[in-house]
Amino acid sequence: MNAALVAHNTFREAMRDRLVAGVLGGGFVILAATQILTPLAMGEGMRLTVDLGLTGITLLGLLVILLAGTSLVAKEIERRTIYNLLSRPIARPVYLIGKWAGLTATLWTTVALLGAGLGAVLVARGAANHLPSLAQALVLAGLELSIVTALAVLFSALSTPVLSALYTLGAFVAGQWSDDLRHFALKLEPAPRVAVEVVAQLVPNLPLFNMRALAADGDPTTVLHLGLAAAYALLYVTCVLALASAAFESRDFK
Amino acid sequence: MQDLSASNDRWPTRDLPVAPAGEGASAIRVEKLSKHYVHPWTQRRTVGLDGLDLEVRAGEVIGLLGPNGAGKTTTLKLLTGLIKPTSGRAWLFGTPIEETRSRRRLGFLPEQPYFYDYLSGREYLELAGGLSGLSGAEASRRALHWLGRVGLGDRPALRLRKYSKGMLQRLGLAAALVHEPDLLILDEPMSGLDPFGRRDVRALIQEQRARGTTVLFSSHIIPDVEALCDRVAIVLHGRLHRVGTLSELARGSVSAVTVCCGGAAIFERPPSWGDRVTRRESGEATEFVVHDPALLDQVLEVLVRHRASVQSVTPERASLESLFLAAAETERAGAIGRTA
Repeated sequence: MNAALVAHNTFREAMRDRLVAGVLGGGFVILAATQILTPLAMGEGMRLTVDLGLTGITLLGLLVILLAGTSLVAKEIERRTIYNLLSRPIARPVYLIGKWAGLTATLWTTVALLGAGLGAVLVARGAANHLPSLAQALVLAGLELSIVTALAVLFSALSTPVLSALYTLGAFVAGQWSDDLRHFALKLEPAPRVAVEVVAQLVPNLPLFNMRALAADGDPTTVLHLGLAAAYALLYVTCVLALASAAFESRDFK
Repeated sequence: MQDLSASNDRWPTRDLPVAPAGEGASAIRVEKLSKHYVHPWTQRRTVGLDGLDLEVRAGEVIGLLGPNGAGKTTTLKLLTGLIKPTSGRAWLFGTPIEETRSRRRLGFLPEQPYFYDYLSGREYLELAGGLSGLSGAEASRRALHWLGRVGLGDRPALRLRKYSKGMLQRLGLAAALVHEPDLLILDEPMSGLDPFGRRDVRALIQEQRARGTTVLFSSHIIPDVEALCDRVAIVLHGRLHRVGTLSELARGSVSAVTVCCGGAAIFERPPSWGDRVTRRESGEATEFVVHDPALLDQVLEVLVRHRASVQSVTPERASLESLFLAAAETERAGAIGRTA
């Protein structure tokens, strides 16, 4: 109940912020730009539209997280609005879960709106057969952003907004390279190999959520892939929020 | 600053402290509550609160008085769960303060409250009510009611970014009261208010007392404390210096007694009175100011013997302000002595 109230308030804050409106506007501009570039793609216009569109949606979602998510908790502490919440019968972990859920809902809404725009472009270009794979790619993008949001909440609960943004961006980039990190570890001596393998396991496995290449060809992925990705996202988010809660529990608000 | 909660004497997380016997009558019970901070680089220790003991009975209004940095806000933040104690224990209505449910019957107004700019007054109170356990419909109903009660009811949809400082203070009070708590903790509730706002807040506190709400508030405005409180606790250097009713605090501080007689009391003053009894005429009355209370019986005896019409005998007690200032000066002198 209280988590839902905090989530609703966070969602309301994000949607009333000009940032989300700006991101949506930016997303539609990117979509329009892909249509201008299509004639230059030498017959690969559909691939370009889907690939750039999906990449744009993920990066714009990341932008929302970096600008809003990383100050999600830190801003409340800095402005002391947190006093009004935590002096009520609400447990600190519940507060963090509500914050994560509110921003995640905002991101899913953004992904859905931009995805609907991208879908409309595909239908207009006579590629309605790409819609099922596009929908799957959007779900995976939403799951990927949910994980990054959990990391942003963790860093925001422990650090300043600027440092949180840097840590979150670092985790996102490292997560994108997690496959490369594992391959790189195999080429190292035993001691550094273990260290790099541990890092590769700790950072989120974001390539799991990337099906842009498949979607660009209009090929759907398997239900097993979607299920595994959803389960991984759920587990990762749970662990990160548990860690954030443990650290947040002992924090003083002076 | 980092707190010492992780030290050996940290607040227990297991075997939660059970409220002592007879706790039912206490709205707040505090035992040896301390809060120390250690600077992460210099390791310099700062004492925010040092072994505070305090009991607030259900239904009473108690004021926390103390200079800046005395530990008033630290005490209130510890009780409301915003900071964790280094050592000691406290209960709200018998529930240990580290349990979330201890705050179910609590309404809190922080010092200089901050709010979400993007919400309207009504939305904010609905959120506050919901977080304190009200259903959606009930939170909505009470939000409108309390907006009206604090004089903000004419524009419930106005965004908070357009509120003045005084309006925000009123809204904070409404948020503390929206779920009609049994315990109200207010940190400087009169701060930033004009005289009308102060009058309204005083009226609200008195109204809450009438309905049986326990009120603990800190203030620098001594006349407000005198006007509202059943008891006053003076906190100095993180310690409870004195606590009691105004008359208890003032006991022993009688500096003079004024005996008022009707008409002109004509008689010769005994030479033994000297400067210890002075006489002044005011209109149709004569006042004898007895500067040495030990002489009072003798003065009254003389007046009665001379058939003077004694109308009143009024002890002149020290004001709360003078008591507070004297306590602060004594404590400061003691601290300097200890340092030397």
